[in-house]
Amino acid sequence: MKTFKFLSLFSFILFLSACGGEKTDVVESGTYQGVVHEVEADKNEIYVKTADDKILELYFTETTKLTRNGETVPFSELAEGKKVEVEVTKVGQRLDPVSVKILE
Amino acid sequence: MFLAIWRTELWHPISVHFPIALLLGATISFFVSFFHRDGAGKHWRSAANGMLLGGCAAAWIGIYTGDLADGIVSRTICDPTVLKAHELASFTMVYLFSSATIVNLLAFTSFIRVSWKKVMHYLVFVLMITGSGYLVYTGHLGATLVYEQGAGVNKPSADCTGFE
Repeated sequence: MKTFKFLSLFSFILFLSACGGEKTDVVESGTYQGVVHEVEADKNEIYVKTADDKILELYFTETTKLTRNGETVPFSELAEGKKVEVEVTKVGQRLDPVSVKILE
Repeated sequence: MFLAIWRTELWHPISVHFPIALLLGATISFFVSFFHRDGAGKHWRSAANGMLLGGCAAAWIGIYTGDLADGIVSRTICDPTVLKAHELASFTMVYLFSSATIVNLLAFTSFIRVSWKKVMHYLVFVLMITGSGYLVYTGHLGATLVYEQGAGVNKPSADCTGFE
């Protein structure tokens, strides 16, 4: 009985964790401030959570400028929780980051 | 020309058709086994068990190759929200089939009472049916990415340069 309960609970937890993925949002072209929600360094990708709780998934391109205090910094400077200002261009439903400024 | 197709993003379409076939096959075999009380039922169940185990492993390989492709095609397709939905559905699917595999394997162990094994088999089947639904949905989104947005597809120039 205990084993069955454990298995049922385990399966239920797995199912819930599977449903817990976060969807991302699409916004109009413009400049937005927010906090770095997640960094995927191997893909040069960041998720930015804006003040109105939208999550922007941004894949850096060859032309994306990453700066802090006006100086260009490497991608490794980005970390979860850092405040950023991003300028994005909406292409179709894709958001191309033009520039990312680290604010702190 | 042959070597030109060995792009990182193409490992995903190469690998994902194995779990699609195996996991759907496992679900069908599992379903059929309920209608056979004799030796044939055992054969159907054995086939289902093998396909479930192999399909689950192949699904995780598909998740890995999908992650490799994600970073490349996201920069070229016009609607990455479909890609995100594909990713989320695939994770739901793989967790459901992983749960089914774990419960199914544990049902073979000796410390489970016989009366509970039958209940566990029904639980496995429910997980597989739900997982199959997500598998079809994931496949549909994957096909949409390829055929509607050209994800991972090489687009030849109008004058077919490179094909002379």
